[in-house]
Amino acid sequence: MASVFERVAGPFPGALGGVAWDGTGVLFSLIDEMTIKKFDPATGQVTDARLYTGRVNGIAHEATTGIVYACQEGGRRVIQYLPDGSAAITTTRFNGAVHNHPADLTLDRAGRIWFSDPHNGVQAFGPQVFPPLEHASVLRLERDDRRAWVIRRVTFDTAAPRAVLLAADEKTLYVSEGTADSAAPRELRAYPVNADGSVGPYVVFHTFGKDHRGAQRGIEGLCLDHEGNIVACGGWRKSGPGPLVYVFAPDGRLLETHPLPCDAPVRCAFGDADGARLYVTGGDGSLYAGRIGSRRVPAQSRRAS
Amino acid sequence: MDIDHATPELFRLVDRDPPLDCIAQGMSFGEGPVWDQRNGMLYWVDIIGNTLWRWRPGVGREVVLKPSGHINGLTFDAQGRLHAAGWCTRTILRFEHDGSITTIAAKWEGKKFNSPNDIVIRSDGSIWWTDSAGGLVIPGMVAQDVQRYIDVMGVYRLSPDGNTVTLAIADCAYPNGLAFTPDEKQLYVNDTRLGNIRIFDVHDDGTLGPGRLFHTLAGSEGGVADGMKVDVEGNVYCTGPGGVHVIAPDGKLLGRLRVPGHCTNMGWGDADWCSLYITTFTSVFKTRTKVPGIAVG
Repeated sequence: MASVFERVAGPFPGALGGVAWDGTGVLFSLIDEMTIKKFDPATGQVTDARLYTGRVNGIAHEATTGIVYACQEGGRRVIQYLPDGSAAITTTRFNGAVHNHPADLTLDRAGRIWFSDPHNGVQAFGPQVFPPLEHASVLRLERDDRRAWVIRRVTFDTAAPRAVLLAADEKTLYVSEGTADSAAPRELRAYPVNADGSVGPYVVFHTFGKDHRGAQRGIEGLCLDHEGNIVACGGWRKSGPGPLVYVFAPDGRLLETHPLPCDAPVRCAFGDADGARLYVTGGDGSLYAGRIGSRRVPAQSRRAS
Repeated sequence: MDIDHATPELFRLVDRDPPLDCIAQGMSFGEGPVWDQRNGMLYWVDIIGNTLWRWRPGVGREVVLKPSGHINGLTFDAQGRLHAAGWCTRTILRFEHDGSITTIAAKWEGKKFNSPNDIVIRSDGSIWWTDSAGGLVIPGMVAQDVQRYIDVMGVYRLSPDGNTVTLAIADCAYPNGLAFTPDEKQLYVNDTRLGNIRIFDVHDDGTLGPGRLFHTLAGSEGGVADGMKVDVEGNVYCTGPGGVHVIAPDGKLLGRLRVPGHCTNMGWGDADWCSLYITTFTSVFKTRTKVPGIAVG
């Protein structure tokens, strides 16, 4: 089956990371190159949006402020790229300890940052003074009553959380759990979000097993479409049905899949002026884009794009 | 303390089994040891612990400043004022006698420094520092603004009148320790990433000649090129794998001081300048050398 996706930028050195539409272009992260680049769909030009990122992976653009929140794997923290060109920290300590290597994040309307905090084989910068946390969880940055950032733990049953996404009503947290070298299968989970910000027992929407070629690679990137469906990218050529974009209904039914021309897709986000082109970052260092039917970015006013 | 000697010449500088006293412990990232000869005290920092400490022999240690802005390398000027490479403050700081703190350099060509790492003051009053970028990304070292703006990690010089910041060395990978030869006609700069030490001629106008490779650090143990100081005979003491490497003025390794833990920096002190204070991540140690270090301040 032919792919509706085409390469629009790259290849660049190393795997790509996060991707986000910032209102005028597509931001995407070159993790190893420590650069965030911006793709202009009108001209096809790629420019440097940020240099010296310190291995930023997941990124999220906050439409109301213009802030880009970024998972800085090399610094083991979530930072904020401010519109004036500077970069601010949030906080790095969870119960007094430096947390792991944040990978992906999602913003909610209350201004909180939900992020996955897996362990990572690539060391942070500098001397390894801080051991990793004993758990790898979804954590949440939020402000206390003095506007200081604090971190709360959200999941207590993850071992390698990857992509994170909140449902449009923010009453469900979607988490892709597990890597191909995990003992347990990879899963797309839906956690009910309680009024106090904690989560309840999860439902599994999709499980990725293994075949004679090896373990299937699970989902690495998640975003919502205009109907509240969950758009996901994952898989690889090594095993299973190959690299795909998946669309799951909010109740977990798999609605459709779309093959991708790149191996090991990383993240996905809708962009363009009409919000109807899906951008996918590739493990091959290229940025891909394609339209999947009429699916597009949620029409409702979202805090984050 | 254990000594690895590459040549017996080392024992002209240190005893075969010199003392190793632990002055302080319990830190996260000790750095910047410098002797205050006017008051007979040792100052140092805990970068991650965000604290400036001092210790008076026979009395004990106390906190001077906390939070310290995660400051890093320390030195004194000829007036006895403590100076700090600000690291996470991204500035060069001077501690005045009245207790106030003055920012004496913050930008080069309108751009914030990366994260000033270590600092040395020449007798002409010029102030020199390395500007690596680790203070923007290393966990536990938190700047207000973590965006890097300057494309090079260089060595800077502030003119004696305090008015002009010059990029003195631009072709470093990760500059860290720096120290002058006893006659101050040459400057040593080490490089953490490259694991080497270069030497530069210092011209009368404060500019430098091209760098020449002086020494490449060897060893498989933990430890990197970080702090570096010079004794009155011109021997170079530089942190490296396994402890403090002692290198003759001709660039030849004399041996290593095997300090327990990960060494970060050192500085001579006491009235005879023959006590060598060594910081590690967690501790401050004191040993003795037979040849004094270059006096500071």
